[in-house]
Amino acid sequence: MTTTTRTSPVTGAPEASPFIVASHIAKAFGGAQALKDVSIDLRPGEVHGLVGANGAGKSTLIRILAGLVRPDAGSIEIDGKPTQIANAQAAAAHGMSFIHQELAFVPGMTVLQNIMLGVPKPSRFGLTDWAAIARDVAPIAARVGITAPLNASVKGLSTAENWLINICRALVRKSRLIVMDEPTASLSASESEKLFAIIRDMSRSGVTVLYVSHRLDEILDLCDRVSVFRDGRSVDLFSRAGLTRQTLVEAIVGKGLAPAVRPTRSETGSETVLELADLTRMPRVKGVSLALHRGEVLGIGGLVGAGRTELARLIYGADRPDAGSMTLAGKPFAPRSPAAAVKAGLGLVPEERRAEGLVLSKSVLFNLGLANLDRLVIGRALPLLSRSRQVHMGAETIKALAIKTQGVDQPVGRLSGGNQQKVVIGRWLRREPQVLILDEPTRGVDIGARGEIHKLIRELAGSGMAVLVISSEPDELPDLCDRVLVMAEGRIVEELSGEALSRNAIVQASYEVQRQGVPA
Amino acid sequence: MSESSLSGRRLTPGMKTGLGIFARYATILGLLAMLLAFSILSPRAFPTLGNFTNVLNQASLAMIIAGGLTLAVIVGELDLSIGFAASLHGILVTGLIVQDQLPIPLAVVIVIGLGALIGLVNGVIVTKIKVNSVIATLGVGTILTGLAFAYSSGVPIVAGVPEAFLQLSLGRWLFGIPNNIVVMVLVLGALWVLVERTGLGQEIQAVGGNAVAARLAGIDVDRIKILGFVVSGMCAALTGILLASRLGSGTASAADSYLLTAFAAVFLGSATLRDGEFHVLGTFVGALIIAFGFNGLNIFGAPTFSQYVFQGAILIVAVGLSSLGRSLAES
Repeated sequence: MTTTTRTSPVTGAPEASPFIVASHIAKAFGGAQALKDVSIDLRPGEVHGLVGANGAGKSTLIRILAGLVRPDAGSIEIDGKPTQIANAQAAAAHGMSFIHQELAFVPGMTVLQNIMLGVPKPSRFGLTDWAAIARDVAPIAARVGITAPLNASVKGLSTAENWLINICRALVRKSRLIVMDEPTASLSASESEKLFAIIRDMSRSGVTVLYVSHRLDEILDLCDRVSVFRDGRSVDLFSRAGLTRQTLVEAIVGKGLAPAVRPTRSETGSETVLELADLTRMPRVKGVSLALHRGEVLGIGGLVGAGRTELARLIYGADRPDAGSMTLAGKPFAPRSPAAAVKAGLGLVPEERRAEGLVLSKSVLFNLGLANLDRLVIGRALPLLSRSRQVHMGAETIKALAIKTQGVDQPVGRLSGGNQQKVVIGRWLRREPQVLILDEPTRGVDIGARGEIHKLIRELAGSGMAVLVISSEPDELPDLCDRVLVMAEGRIVEELSGEALSRNAIVQASYEVQRQGVPA
Repeated sequence: MSESSLSGRRLTPGMKTGLGIFARYATILGLLAMLLAFSILSPRAFPTLGNFTNVLNQASLAMIIAGGLTLAVIVGELDLSIGFAASLHGILVTGLIVQDQLPIPLAVVIVIGLGALIGLVNGVIVTKIKVNSVIATLGVGTILTGLAFAYSSGVPIVAGVPEAFLQLSLGRWLFGIPNNIVVMVLVLGALWVLVERTGLGQEIQAVGGNAVAARLAGIDVDRIKILGFVVSGMCAALTGILLASRLGSGTASAADSYLLTAFAAVFLGSATLRDGEFHVLGTFVGALIIAFGFNGLNIFGAPTFSQYVFQGAILIVAVGLSSLGRSLAES
């Protein structure tokens, strides 16, 4: 490990020579260009904010720095030397630590053992010398504010304390750069304040922090400089001086975007199909009320982690609410399982189509049939599958959705992402549910298929279905929806429709809530 | 990070196709090669109708219990209780007939019903209490062994077994075909139709293929898993009954060894014709391989220990081929 200790420079001063410079990084996954042209430089001892809408490329850049992904183009210099970060070990050897939202720790081990996870440990006579380690680690633990005894079990520690353990591990490793991804997402206000104090303290001692967050007030409060990513490009770099929240939001949203061409609206009837009253499941869904009408496409926007998928799971019976109630077509509706929800007339196209939507090893026909088995058998008395009914149904759906497949018997795992998604949607066509919920219907789908899926969703609504679309892409919802509800921190914070419904309005509302503060 | 690879090495598409074909047909080729080799080495004793009928007759009990196990593994669970359960069922059916003087059909129905009940218990423990199926069924199986010893006081029930009960397994009621074979064909046939040709079968396959997706498609996953255990339990009961009939006695551990045979057959079967997917026809082929292997070893007078070696080796080969198929299918 490099051990050059730099004295703390004047924070953010331009003369400080950068620790890491990444220039013109590009990276594509399959057909999707996650990073188009991203440059960023991190100086010793600065707290560098990284912001951008969902899908702007923040995570991909972090994965590249962590050695988990190789860039297609561009260069990375560390201490002025061109470097390739081949794997996670190389990233650690260069003095980088990464703390993710899903914290790495082993529940059955002690605080000290967790701090030392993966860190080389001194040994005496072949045995790990825990006493010596405890002596070395104790002051660092105290510095980051770990109050639990080192030999206590981590079981029962709060998320905040687990963050401290992760930070402590980074310091024990003598990391020069700590990357934090949404650190305050699950911390209380006072816990966040403590974390900020520790970050400032680390910054003073020369450690660089790359701070990724959707919470702009924290960014403004904490960071010396802020990089803004948009659509896979680094579009702006701000110094803290004079930076306002409005400037940041504008940079994140982008300006001069032509207003989206609205599709023809379906006639939204006043007939309410599904109604939610104060639906709650802590900690992710807090008192959501909404009404979904026949023939309507209702969008739910917001940042990742706002509670949208969790809301869909509640409606669909995959989870049970703590409080609140639902009605479906005027009758009380409290599904005990997805099977009950389907029976009552709901359908779901889940977020992760490969993990949650499809049996990948099975054929297109098999997967299309899954929600329709009662219609594919010869009769109730003789529950044998009718191949001709299966093929007929399959061929009809494949034609209606223009699914590109070599035949009904092709394993669905071999189809492209867009066609896989059409299979998951196609499953519900025959069933004609009253309510269809689509969670991220076009994620990882190429632009052509995306248009087709959007058209299909409009047609379904046109035929009288009530459609709920969840999307993290602010671009998607204005094109598709009659009305959009924006969620933040488990609540609906904004309703947008008509002229007020735009990409910018959705993004604004997603961030706006933090400034106003959500009533607890 | 996770490029398509097999044991870390990259394979060309051609090599993958080739390996895939090998994995899918290796078991059938192995069976044919074995039949050919035994026929050449022992032309008088091995390739005769009498011997083949005998082998199939012997293998039928293993095929029935393995057929039931196939349902449990298709829904993604393991059932380790089947061997112990079959032993208990054997003792119980003999006891009901000999000691309680119940009519044979009634005793058989009661015991098969008990098999279903044991399956239900297994299924409920696994799906509702969420105990890992290996542990749950091992625990239940051990309890069943205890019950078997308690019921028989550790002494095999030998005396007074009526001839009519022996004829259940030993008889040839249909065109001179051994009853065991007839029952086996009926059971495996019914299971095959259930899994491959009914709507319920599609749900069973979906639950095993991707339980999360099946649940979100509106399938009652717990119900399907419990069904898998119930079918497995009923087949174990049938095998236990037929074994007691063949042996003419009930012994507390008579059927224990069927556990290993059934698992070997099921895993060999999953590597047959499909890429590591469990299916009824495959299980039949797997059980045939094991049966002819034992038969060959017997004909050549191989020592007893070699049968253990054969059985252990075939289990490992079977699971190896199965996971090879699966990793090729996924890449």
